[in-house]
Amino acid sequence: MTSDHEVGPDRASARPGPAPRDVDLDRVWVGVAAEVWRRRPGPVERLAGRLLRSPGLARALVTTPSLLLAWVVATAVVLLAGALATLGTGTPYVALVAPAVAAAGIAYAYGPGVDPAWELSCSVAVSDRMVLLVRALTVFGLNAAFGLAASAASGVATAVTLGWLLPMTAVCALALATATVARSANVGVAAGVASWLIAILAGQAATGRISAAVTTSALWLPCLAFAGCCAAIVLYTTRIPKGSS
Amino acid sequence: MNVATTDLTRRFGRNVAVAGVTLDAGPGVFGLLGPNGAGKTSLLRMLATVIPPSSGRIRLLGRDPGVYGQRRQIRRRLGYVPQNLGFYPGFTVVEFVEYFALLKELPAAEVHRAVAVAVERVGLGDKATAKLRTLSGGMLRRVGIAQAIVNEPELLLLDEPTAGLDPAQRVAFRALLRDLGQQATVIVSTHLVEDVGAACTQVALMDQGKIVFHGTPDELVARGAGTTAAGDAPLERGYSAVLAEAGS
Repeated sequence: MTSDHEVGPDRASARPGPAPRDVDLDRVWVGVAAEVWRRRPGPVERLAGRLLRSPGLARALVTTPSLLLAWVVATAVVLLAGALATLGTGTPYVALVAPAVAAAGIAYAYGPGVDPAWELSCSVAVSDRMVLLVRALTVFGLNAAFGLAASAASGVATAVTLGWLLPMTAVCALALATATVARSANVGVAAGVASWLIAILAGQAATGRISAAVTTSALWLPCLAFAGCCAAIVLYTTRIPKGSS
Repeated sequence: MNVATTDLTRRFGRNVAVAGVTLDAGPGVFGLLGPNGAGKTSLLRMLATVIPPSSGRIRLLGRDPGVYGQRRQIRRRLGYVPQNLGFYPGFTVVEFVEYFALLKELPAAEVHRAVAVAVERVGLGDKATAKLRTLSGGMLRRVGIAQAIVNEPELLLLDEPTAGLDPAQRVAFRALLRDLGQQATVIVSTHLVEDVGAACTQVALMDQGKIVFHGTPDELVARGAGTTAAGDAPLERGYSAVLAEAGS
């Protein structure tokens, strides 16, 4: 589709004049262009590429919408505010807020509603299920790390500091499963946040304490089982049925 | 055959988008014509391994896309331009094409050169470092084509690729299609009958999920000869005549 009038200024300047007959200028130009246009991956992408052993998967990871700088900063700010509120009131706000924040991040990690090139990415060699897995794990890990830091900074009891991690796993799994089945990040966020809100309110109604949802160890096993079920739903939804082709 | 489908069907709920399509295609440019809702896009999406069929068989490049390992091998040699090309507005042309080169698992040492070749081939060399949000619709279409050909695919699937291109760009694009069709199987879904006449060696016409005509452009022209079918050009009259027959 290239014609002479489409040659850009960069290319024009790369052609100083007549060349010897045995020089293929198009070939030379492509070599020059490949070097001039070469993108240098950042340190995070390089590290991810080594860890995942796939430059494509690493590139897909660093384009995760909920890992972009603005989102990460917003997450940190919310949890920092939660830590300050916890310090001021003694109520474990970090533990109460962290699962909902993480669920939103997970729901916005992957899918047709948030990834503009999702249709194309379903036709490439790097499996969309691998992209989903890597993105979800990374978003979860980052949110868990932020939550732990904020929880530790807020000085609440160790039981509460760790008590939200399992509910967070369950809420994130629900958000991911719902977003994947409904093919909508917003539906995933709504399901995750609503379920966590219901859990908090139910805990408060049963015990009179708003922190019951993150301090009742009896919920940990059901949370793990629920997360496992949600993970199974995600795997089932993203499969290509055998015998269909 | 690079594409072989047998009794391929795809349902969305109660709606049957593709109804028992049997199709073989080897190297060359294959035009897929049909009115809106005929099932062209659903057929292309199945061939692009984006959605699985509800029933029937597909073999692409001699492999079964229902098997993970074989599907991955197919996808490495596949190029696809969907009807609605999604893009990352903050990416440059080169970054976008490179992103898909990496996802198609091109060897790292070949990626940069392959990207440069693809970008030059669609005439976007002077926009290589421009952000996608600054490009016109026609240029974005060409970016989509660049990412599709970056891995020099053996099977190239293009859904309405000339939408948004101006006449000069369409002429250049048809030349590119003919060039690509020398080696690869290129399947082009289009509303524009003149694209088929200018670039395709084979043509299929779909209506209500079924293939109602399969032959050469000349054979399609012959179907309209001597009829009162609507159309300004012989191919359009052939197209209208076949659709009228299928509907009667």
